[in-house]
Amino acid sequence: MKVFNLIAVAALCASAVRAQTNANTAASSAPRPATRIQSASVDFDMTGRRAVYHGNVRVDDPQMKLTCAQLVVDLPPDAGHPNHIVAETNVVIDFTDAKGQTMHATSDKAVYVYEVQNGATNETVTLTGNAKVENAQGWLTGEPIIWNRANNSLSAMNQKMIFRQNLDSMKAGTNSPPAK
Amino acid sequence: MKIKLNRAILILSALMALGFFAAIHAQPNGAGHASDFTSVEYYDAPNEKQMKTRLAGAEAQPLAGGLLVIKQLKLEMFDTNGTLNVVVKAPDCVYDTLNGTASSSGHLQLASGDGKFRVEGDGFLWRRDAAFLTISNNVQTIIENAPMTEKKTTP
Repeated sequence: MKVFNLIAVAALCASAVRAQTNANTAASSAPRPATRIQSASVDFDMTGRRAVYHGNVRVDDPQMKLTCAQLVVDLPPDAGHPNHIVAETNVVIDFTDAKGQTMHATSDKAVYVYEVQNGATNETVTLTGNAKVENAQGWLTGEPIIWNRANNSLSAMNQKMIFRQNLDSMKAGTNSPPAK
Repeated sequence: MKIKLNRAILILSALMALGFFAAIHAQPNGAGHASDFTSVEYYDAPNEKQMKTRLAGAEAQPLAGGLLVIKQLKLEMFDTNGTLNVVVKAPDCVYDTLNGTASSSGHLQLASGDGKFRVEGDGFLWRRDAAFLTISNNVQTIIENAPMTEKKTTP
């Protein structure tokens, strides 16, 4: 595997911003800010096709921000889209959903999986370990919480949702169905 | 994008192991020392006229123990059609010909030929046999993104 592919996809995928979905896409010529990855160090294992970013890892992308202690990127042999990325320890992801709503996710671990089966793209981020997703309306906890990038939906096992009404009102805890 | 940094580093290692500094364009300056050197490697047939790598440096100085100190290292790798694939720059580098490692406490820059992918950091170690590269400090990776895309759901 080529190092630059490792590097490039590390950024592109770790940020999980490449929403390659089953939906049609139309490209505009608007320039897009660069994706940046900062870390204390990085190891490239060319034989094992793996890049490991260590220490204060920070991914800044136009569509999301991610911080964690370690980011591991595995690449397929064909040098295509990275199919497996793991962010570990104090994972924080801030992103904007399809409605422009800001989301704040935290967990001990986040696993990004990308696969294409029968022409359909599956792209998920699975949060485990004290997983929590929060927005202006409330927050969702679960084990795990799965963020489906293909249809931009959230689902959770053993979930609990808390809705904010306003700063002074009571907060209601429910065992409502998974968020869509 | 098929950028072959591992191959670049392997070639770098191989060239240095073979004493590249005595190659094509070098100005000998004392025993084993070369300045403003350039070493070019070409592809095998049928692309034998196409440059594969171009390695340049301001100085190369052999030391005891099989070490080779290189200043202002610049390695360029080209595709068979002449496209520049990778550029590697390091102001200082020590190559250990016995152990097959290249290292430096100084800066390392890697960039794709089109400049869209860039990585740099301070301090690095390349282990040839393990095909393993570590950049030790202040690692910065920049990826220039493709034009923005908007998702439009099929009706």
